[in-house]
Amino acid sequence: MGPSRGRRYILLHLLLAGFGVILFRLVSLQVLQAAELTARADRQHQKSVTMEGARGTVTDRHGKVFAMNVEVPSIFGVPTSLDSPANAARSLSPVLHIRREEIEKKLRQDRHFVWLARKVEPEQGRRLEQLSIDGIGMVMEGRRFYPKGPLLAHVLGFVGMDGVGLEGLERRYESQLHGEKRLTILQRDALGRTVFPKDLREQVPATGQALTLTIDEVIQYIAEKELEEAVDHARAKSGTIIVMEPRTGAVLAMAVSPRFDPNAVASLTADRWRNRALTDTYEPGSTMKVVVAAAALEERVMMPGSMLFGENGRMTIANTTIHDHEKLGWMTFAQMIQKSSNIGAAKTGMLVGDQRLYRYLQAFGFGQRTDIDLPGEVSGLLKAPREWGRRSLASISMGQEVGVTPLQMITAVSAIANDGVLMKPYVVAEVRDQKGQRMKEILPQVKRRVVSPATAHTLTTIMEGVVSSGTGTKAAIPGFRVAGKTGTAQKVDPRTGTYSSALSIGSFVGFVPADAPRLTIIVVIDEPQGEAWGGVVAAPVFRRVGEQVLTYLGVPRDDQVKIAMAAR
Amino acid sequence: MKAVAIVTGMCLVFVFVWERVDVVRLGYSIERLKTQKTLLERERDQLQVKFSALTAPERIARVATDKLGLMPPQQGQVFIVHPQPDRPLLATPPAEQLRIARTMFPVGGAK
Repeated sequence: MGPSRGRRYILLHLLLAGFGVILFRLVSLQVLQAAELTARADRQHQKSVTMEGARGTVTDRHGKVFAMNVEVPSIFGVPTSLDSPANAARSLSPVLHIRREEIEKKLRQDRHFVWLARKVEPEQGRRLEQLSIDGIGMVMEGRRFYPKGPLLAHVLGFVGMDGVGLEGLERRYESQLHGEKRLTILQRDALGRTVFPKDLREQVPATGQALTLTIDEVIQYIAEKELEEAVDHARAKSGTIIVMEPRTGAVLAMAVSPRFDPNAVASLTADRWRNRALTDTYEPGSTMKVVVAAAALEERVMMPGSMLFGENGRMTIANTTIHDHEKLGWMTFAQMIQKSSNIGAAKTGMLVGDQRLYRYLQAFGFGQRTDIDLPGEVSGLLKAPREWGRRSLASISMGQEVGVTPLQMITAVSAIANDGVLMKPYVVAEVRDQKGQRMKEILPQVKRRVVSPATAHTLTTIMEGVVSSGTGTKAAIPGFRVAGKTGTAQKVDPRTGTYSSALSIGSFVGFVPADAPRLTIIVVIDEPQGEAWGGVVAAPVFRRVGEQVLTYLGVPRDDQVKIAMAAR
Repeated sequence: MKAVAIVTGMCLVFVFVWERVDVVRLGYSIERLKTQKTLLERERDQLQVKFSALTAPERIARVATDKLGLMPPQQGQVFIVHPQPDRPLLATPPAEQLRIARTMFPVGGAK
């Protein structure tokens, strides 16, 4: 072996050793550490983000927007990246409208991330961009806007900071309204810029479904305006107005006073945003006589011309005295309703009997939820006959010892307007997907027949008498036939546990036009000061609402129809 | 033959590299357009909210009464006509309807 051959031999071994090292490293990187290194690379050039589709919109029956989502900036700070928290706080304070000390305290925390303000106005975001402070950034988040302010607030409800529905329709339809959440992986370059999604077939997360309501924005406005004026005028504690289509059960308006703005609920209590139309029960007083009369007519216990004696305004039952608001003698059954005689109603109830009256009360929907598509509805109070006392039959016949919601009462009276058929009330008419395709249409739903068409028509005529010559004359709408009933109920004084002479509820419920009903309206005024009669505090509100809504809907007055007929 | 193979190979490499670069370029372009789309959608939503707030009946009524001095029509000042031919509630022509309306309900209140 010569020296040159020996060098070649050494060189060959060195080369082999070198290649061996490279091979070993290659196997180590590509095989042994493959999983760990791949994951590290992915972390560096991939970014996974949870994308959420916008929450669905809520519109009225004509597409007017009641609630929608808009992306707005949320401001955060990275305290570890800040040079001077004090300077940053001084610059941010006038933009965010937060005290300087409060911002500085957050920025001095030993943390990598702090929220400074969530879901602020877009203009604030623009001003913040101009400031360009290192260590202060913003991300876009969906914020729920209610552009009509307090209009329909009790029905709409509101969402929390995390965008989840907490009250009203927002809560009831949470599963339909919320946008789809999807994890998307984005590729990014060396500068951290997003290049494109890892999977180009990646779909944008779907927007939540949209709700179209049965509510009409203009009718809602009319109801809220008139209710506010009535509550203010009567210096009442609260009030409710519901407007319903009796043929379908569709709710056209649901107004509750006092109002609130769902854009700013943080400082309010549940008492303010509670939808009293379906969460609060009250003793209906004389409006309940409509149901008692329906039972008496249907069971042929009474005819419109049947005579009743009013006992000159006083009658003793079970050692208690029932009073009428005036001394009434002999009167017809129809007059008993029109004059709202308690004694006449008590006598009628006794003729109907406890079991039959209870059956009719249940059939009209009292003591059970209407199953409207809104949360928080209560079933009211209706005891079974075995729990009734000796005076209960008389008391219930004049609207005491029974608790109803305004929604239950208007649904029951709508059945009279609808030829005796009880409908299920509803507020959502359609659910549509993000492309506007109809996913679900909610059709009017019949619950049951409660009385015959003949009974409903007879009762309608009697109720027309209430408005034309009875206790509800202030509800009369010129040019239209109105059927209705007044109600005045004393409230139980929580201090004494007995009926209060000062606290009462005045109400009116009726429908118009009586011969071809388009609207049923209930007005409930809680604890009015001064005169509390339903015919005084609630009936005029019914008239004002009915008059405006009929004009808005283009329902012709009787005299206009006559002119038209004559002109033909 | 060898030269053709080399040229073909170089062309293939060039096409491959060009395709990779173009994919990245398109990726940036897609992202830019997506950002633009997002901004436009955001602006559209903000304008929609503004439009809805401005057309709220409460605001319109306030502007009508406070700024323009208008007031709601009184009883008898509204006369409903139905001009749609498929719903001929009133068979008379509009001019005749208006004449009847003016005679029955002169401006300023009902008779």
